[in-house]
Amino acid sequence: MFPKRFVLKRLLLLVPVLIGVATLVFSILHLSPGDPALTIAGERASQEFVERIRADLGLNDPIWVQYVDFLGNVVRFDFGESYVINRNTTVREIMANTLPVTLELALYGQLFGILFGIPLGVLSAVKQDTLTDHTTRVGALAGISVPIFWSGPLLILLFAQVLGVLPTSGRISSTFSVSPIRVTGMVTIDTLLAGEWDMFKSAVRHMLLPSLVIGVYSMALISRMMRSSMLEVVRQDYMRTARAKGQGAKITVLKHGFRNALIPVVTIIGIQFGGLLGGAVLTETVFAIGGIGTLLVEAIEVGDYPIVQGTVLTFAFLFTLVNLVVDITYSYLDPRIQQ
Amino acid sequence: MSLPPAVRERGRLVAGGAVVGSVATPVLVAGLVALGGFGPLAAAETAFAFGGLWFGLALLGWAGSVASGRAIEAAQEHLDADSGWTERRSRRAMARIGGFGAGMMLVAPVVGTAVG
Repeated sequence: MFPKRFVLKRLLLLVPVLIGVATLVFSILHLSPGDPALTIAGERASQEFVERIRADLGLNDPIWVQYVDFLGNVVRFDFGESYVINRNTTVREIMANTLPVTLELALYGQLFGILFGIPLGVLSAVKQDTLTDHTTRVGALAGISVPIFWSGPLLILLFAQVLGVLPTSGRISSTFSVSPIRVTGMVTIDTLLAGEWDMFKSAVRHMLLPSLVIGVYSMALISRMMRSSMLEVVRQDYMRTARAKGQGAKITVLKHGFRNALIPVVTIIGIQFGGLLGGAVLTETVFAIGGIGTLLVEAIEVGDYPIVQGTVLTFAFLFTLVNLVVDITYSYLDPRIQQ
Repeated sequence: MSLPPAVRERGRLVAGGAVVGSVATPVLVAGLVALGGFGPLAAAETAFAFGGLWFGLALLGWAGSVASGRAIEAAQEHLDADSGWTERRSRRAMARIGGFGAGMMLVAPVVGTAVG
């Protein structure tokens, strides 16, 4: 049965979270040094010009008036226009171009992490203290320890320079144009929907290395968590009972153990996804993919406040949404949680 | 008509924090003007943003406690690592802090209008 009350409660919690994040972002930006009007006008601009920009942006209003206006705009998801990075373009438009890039990267990275991390964790737990277990554990430890800014260039060196089998940067070959077939903004999905197989192959080839780099860390963490969770579950009385009743080892592990062991792993996957969105900055930089993470860093550097506000709030919204999905998944895995 | 005890208790927590916040605001504004070299209106605006920090943090903390507090309590108990942290006390603390921030945010415009 769908846990309606549980989901409704979690959805209602989104309201204080988003108001909290909006208030925090607004306050931090107003307490930090720098004048947005001066940033837009440039240092050589006349005082009159700076004053005019200030009046146009409503910066002459008291901060409490600006705050109320800001909250009203947040509800409409309207953060105004970019001051510096992409003048005369709305933040919504800019994010519509960059968010799918990061989401695509994070989704494939997470998919890689789940597809390899969970089976490896289960295998490691089932074959505890064997060569398979030791190899998996060392591999996971290495995956967690190696930073992206090091593994990224190394993989580029191996697959692009030495072997020459994969491209070094970008999202698709420069010979293709994805603008006419744009639907979701995610290149692999758009090309697939349009049935453009050559473009699809090129997009997948471009996405392989970044997804691998971002997914290895995720895979390592998931496999470690899955192993320890599985080890705890296989020692439970109900597992012994199932085996004593004559059930095969594989079926016992997969039918009774796996679902229960998944609960803490699902938590990690949820938190990881938020981390992947934020952590994609490094991968985007290494592989020259212009996503929302890179946009945020650039906006902070140049003081483009509307973009900072829009990006941080979008991150917060996505993160809380992912955690909502995690909570719903919990309630399916263990119905007692709904109580 | 009397309010239910639970609502009264929550109201008391938030109001207590708001009273402290509203008293702290003129003190902060005076301090910023006297020691920080701020103009009166700029000081009131800074106090508003400062209150916003507390209010925003408290909202996030409160929502986090409601969403995951019981799970954290259960995990601590399960791991035999009980630190005495409880969801209820966390919610109460966040309500007080939120009240403090809201008090500052409500009084700062009044102070700003009076001095500005």
